[in-house]
Amino acid sequence: MGIGQRLGWPLLFLLPAAIVIGFFFFTMSIMVRISVAPNLGPAQIGDGFTSDNYIQFFGSTFYLGYLFRSLWLAAYCTLITAVLGYTLAYFIHRSGRRTRVLVGALLVIQFFTAYVIRTYAVMLVIGKTGILNRSLLGAGIIERPLALLFTETGVAIGMILVSLPFMVFPIVASLQSIPPNVEMAAASLGASNTRIFWTVIVPLTMPGIAAGIVVVYLFELTSYIVPGVLGGGYVDMIANLIYAKAMQSFDHPFAAAAAMVTLLVSGLTVYLLQKFFRLVTPRT
Amino acid sequence: MWRRKHIGVKIAGYVLLLLLAIPLIVLVGVSLNPGVEQIFPPQGISLRWYYNLANRSGFIGALQLTLILAVGSTIVSTTIGLLVGIALTRFEFWGKDLILTLILSPLIVPQVVVGMAFLVTLSGLGVVSSLLSLSLLHCVITLPFTARAVVSALATSSRSLEEAAQSLGATPARAFLSVTLPIVSPGVIAAAIFAFVTSFENFTASQFLVWDRTTLPVELYNYVQTESDPPAAALSSLILLPVVLFVVVFNRFIAQHMFSGRL
Repeated sequence: MGIGQRLGWPLLFLLPAAIVIGFFFFTMSIMVRISVAPNLGPAQIGDGFTSDNYIQFFGSTFYLGYLFRSLWLAAYCTLITAVLGYTLAYFIHRSGRRTRVLVGALLVIQFFTAYVIRTYAVMLVIGKTGILNRSLLGAGIIERPLALLFTETGVAIGMILVSLPFMVFPIVASLQSIPPNVEMAAASLGASNTRIFWTVIVPLTMPGIAAGIVVVYLFELTSYIVPGVLGGGYVDMIANLIYAKAMQSFDHPFAAAAAMVTLLVSGLTVYLLQKFFRLVTPRT
Repeated sequence: MWRRKHIGVKIAGYVLLLLLAIPLIVLVGVSLNPGVEQIFPPQGISLRWYYNLANRSGFIGALQLTLILAVGSTIVSTTIGLLVGIALTRFEFWGKDLILTLILSPLIVPQVVVGMAFLVTLSGLGVVSSLLSLSLLHCVITLPFTARAVVSALATSSRSLEEAAQSLGATPARAFLSVTLPIVSPGVIAAAIFAFVTSFENFTASQFLVWDRTTLPVELYNYVQTESDPPAAALSSLILLPVVLFVVVFNRFIAQHMFSGRL
């Protein structure tokens, strides 16, 4: 191979990807620029530089409220998703082949079905005349329909159900990478089942838990569809604010600044989560 | 291997499975209602709303646009991913890790931010939203998945057969195309399927770029926001059907990929 081939061919092969990714970075840099441009009325963007958009965001409890609600909602939903996801993953891990194939099929169907469809399906279940309320009313457990739709509880239920598959897959993968004799060794040395679970299995699956939590937190923090469909405008999160500012008020500079804040906050959170999990993961 | 201590896990597992399955069952059930109410169990079995879909030009147009977009961006993105894979696994040069990191970087940017960045860029350039801008967006969104899957398929495939073909006189290109490509084709097909699904279901970034024509997820979202009759359930069930068929047919292959963490 000549030197020309060595340097020329890879560049040629990477050129199309460079165009696509280059455009992506170009759009991000334009957004950074617009986020510090003055807003001169609907769809009117000025030429100069200003920090007004960021000041407007951080100076208002109204706008900060969207950010804090998103951070808080995503935090407790991720925690619940992690507990449920681990349970389901452990169940899959312990099941026989047939159950495992069945569960796998159901999870993959979830994974391949659009969020809009899955969120709409949850709406049909928890709505005022949905199956949940009708069966609880029918059984005489409640007297009035539960108000779940258009409340934070409803949004939380939706986020947990929609993001559960993301949590299960990495945990199952890390459960299956544990050699079976590790558990037997612990048992033969007299460890109880509970002790084996908490001191052997959970630490060894920490990489899977970490991967699941990072993906789910990022997804839930910036979710748009679930608060949109199940919150009905009453439980709007940060992504809903960005969209409304950009597409309804046509205030691109403010929306770009809010998007920048979202990007930085989610990047920082992922960084901190990874740092935390590196501390609690046992070294091998 | 269920021991007694696992009974709790077993019960919890089945409850969670029910929680995941019930919404989809309710969705299909609601679509079969003969009346205008979204009730489960349905008050009868009727395909009325499925026939009704044929008259809804909004849904049909959105489905067409979404399919064109998904097929187009899958082909482009898988081809680009394959080229990236060849460059990163068949040539020696400096900075491979950095290149892969850059290509994967759209993954860590929230969809709403990607959509917002595309919106301000295209409106700054004076480009009206069009099929072309949506296609570019979907290539950006799907490329990380295809590139990652192809690179890992090529990196784990043994090179000895390709080298054997070359030592028998095949050119590097011919050895790659007729020996290695068939071997890694399951990985490439998995990448293409993943790209197709990612494009087909994308909502949050795409909604910034739709114009008087929308994609199917956007159309469905707007519909369920304003209407409360079963056509959306019928359409959703129709979309669910090929997914279910596909998963039932290829379940073993997919489950292997999903649980090995390769996708």
